[in-house]
Amino acid sequence: MLFRPDHRDFRLIGYYSGKVIFGVGLAMLIPLVMAVLLGERNESYAFALGVGLAVSAGRAAELFLYTRHPLSTSHGLAIVAASWLLAPVFAAVPLLLSGHYVSYLDAYFESMSGFATIGLTLVNDLDHLARSMNLWRHLMQFLGGQGIVVVVLTILASAGGRIGALYTGEGREEKILPNVVRTARFIWRVAVGYFLIGSLLLWLAVWSAGLPAFTALYHAMNLFMAAFDTGGFATQSASVGFYHSPLVEAVLLPIMVAGAASFALHYQLWQRRGGELYRNIETRTLALSITGLLIITVVGLARTATFVDLAPLFRHGFFQIVSAHTTTGLATVPGRLYVTDWGVLAPAMIVSAMALGGMAGSTAGGIKAIRVGLIVKGLRRDIRKVLLPEDAVVVETFHSTTKRILRNEQVRAAATILLLWLVLYLAGGLVGLFYGYDLQLSLFESTAAASSGGLSVGVVRPDLEWPLKVLYIAQMVIGRLEFVAVFALAGYLVAIVRGEV
Amino acid sequence: MSDVRTRPVARGRVLLASLLIVGGLAGIVTLAELLRHPLPDTAPGGPPADEPAGDPRAEVTCDEPVPREGQERSDEDAASASRQFVRSNELYDCPQQFDGRRVRYRGEVVGAILRRADGAWVQLNDDVYADALGPLPAHRDFRGGNAGVGVFVSHQVADAIEAIGGPGERGDILEISGVFHRVDPATAEVAIIRSSEASVSAAGEPLVDPALADRRAAAILFLLLAAGLTVAERIVARRR
Repeated sequence: MLFRPDHRDFRLIGYYSGKVIFGVGLAMLIPLVMAVLLGERNESYAFALGVGLAVSAGRAAELFLYTRHPLSTSHGLAIVAASWLLAPVFAAVPLLLSGHYVSYLDAYFESMSGFATIGLTLVNDLDHLARSMNLWRHLMQFLGGQGIVVVVLTILASAGGRIGALYTGEGREEKILPNVVRTARFIWRVAVGYFLIGSLLLWLAVWSAGLPAFTALYHAMNLFMAAFDTGGFATQSASVGFYHSPLVEAVLLPIMVAGAASFALHYQLWQRRGGELYRNIETRTLALSITGLLIITVVGLARTATFVDLAPLFRHGFFQIVSAHTTTGLATVPGRLYVTDWGVLAPAMIVSAMALGGMAGSTAGGIKAIRVGLIVKGLRRDIRKVLLPEDAVVVETFHSTTKRILRNEQVRAAATILLLWLVLYLAGGLVGLFYGYDLQLSLFESTAAASSGGLSVGVVRPDLEWPLKVLYIAQMVIGRLEFVAVFALAGYLVAIVRGEV
Repeated sequence: MSDVRTRPVARGRVLLASLLIVGGLAGIVTLAELLRHPLPDTAPGGPPADEPAGDPRAEVTCDEPVPREGQERSDEDAASASRQFVRSNELYDCPQQFDGRRVRYRGEVVGAILRRADGAWVQLNDDVYADALGPLPAHRDFRGGNAGVGVFVSHQVADAIEAIGGPGERGDILEISGVFHRVDPATAEVAIIRSSEASVSAAGEPLVDPALADRRAAAILFLLLAAGLTVAERIVARRR
């Protein structure tokens, strides 16, 4: 039976959503300081306004909606969905005030794309965008990649263990450590650790590519956030192609892969359990998938004679496939060329790579390697059952941190989510067709938005029809939260209207 | 939902609260819209207002350059015969047709000059922001958006560039003549031009962005509100 929510339900959702908005307000202090230091006057006012609005909303929620009532799972899911819809409202304010966005909807799109680490952008004249504003775009990816709720868990730890229910809503299933707050802090340690190492390596690479030292450091930090958080925003409109540097690309590749690896795997590696790398079902699935898609991409590009020599073919093909598969969205090639110069096979593989995505519990989006791996294992078990005598007991196992027995429920759950993903991709593609975009373009962009792949063939642009912008925003948030949290929020809305007393 | 049920909130109150939240969000949007740069929607010197931006649905035709009097025209001839500048969108729409051909191209130097042993890479952006309109946020005409083309120039040309487009700076406009490559045979870079002739046709300049007093006032007001609410919340929290 569906009950109508009572005042405690609303208080809980408002109270914790307020905490997240407060966290976003605090995060805006970083670009605010940068704007002040660089003398970007109007941008500093824009960020000050953003901070003022978000902190006011957050503190008002704390003041008027304070509650000690415990959270249930449905609360957690609804809070996560509400927070993800509300946080970009505040984050979009400075973006709109930059003067580089057509409308508030575009700025909201950009914020959602940033937090959900999608990488699709509606910014105009990126090359002249203020540095503080560009940093904010990348910082949103860093916050969103770790999970905004995780940010709240660590910064506002007074909420403590009671907010464990929020953790699962953000597309994270496994608790790496017994305590949720400790898990969240471990995720931050990993992110900051990689940030220091990755930014340093990228700084050296970008510096050697010819940028002045300070500018190179700025680019390196932004690039790191875009790559590790599988976000895909870039400091320059030409993306990674701007640097004309195989070294920069070579440094970015392992960072993107690290971003697509689950934090559980990072924990195993930090515990010096290197064997997990080749035993884990997800790493195996990802390795096989990348290899397979790369081979087909190479064949496709060879057929179109886009590349005459093998080295450039491999360089650009590999980078694009890894960027797509990790759902990062950084590119060494202008997006238009996927349509005009890459034939049909290679772009199809890019779409497939984006659709499959990275590992569960990582910053990457898409269907996720664990689900693909489990479905393949389930299929193998069924085939073995058919081939073996009827009374034979067939047991399939998989390795994910420990060796586990494959259960029917796991395969069924994976297949259900896989189906939902396919519906999400196709629905976006269908609406694109309705607006007159051909199948290749509309499916490419729909998959990029939903999976957080972020590569673009040019459909997402400032004069895109507004219903499509709204659709892509919806795809972004549904994909990032992996359906359940959004369904829970929708359930609350239905309960308000149709619930029993 | 809560396990121990209390009386649910009346639908009328939910509706009222929802309207308040929507009103608050609409207020934020309206405030942000009001505090944007006070500029016209179109800028003087820009393309006509009804001229659309690059639409991927538009049919692209990639015509071969027309030979002169039925003769095959060499790439060198094509350069001298064509006084038209090619646009980056044309190069990306028809890379096979332009591959290995000499083209003339013009755009704003943006980002940085990336020096190499035998020359330097520059990114030349040729959208409306690079041309008559100038960079954002000096106007509200948003029909630019391409990424330009990477061009390899000699050290002498790189030395002649004084202003690089970026935050607060409009870059020099560079006119070049060179060969377009889908894939550069020397560096494997994609869709670039190797320039043989280049000159700065217009000097860049710093961009002036006057301080917006209304935005400053609103920022101060809301920071004060945030500070007030924070203090109030702390006081109430201590009493709980």
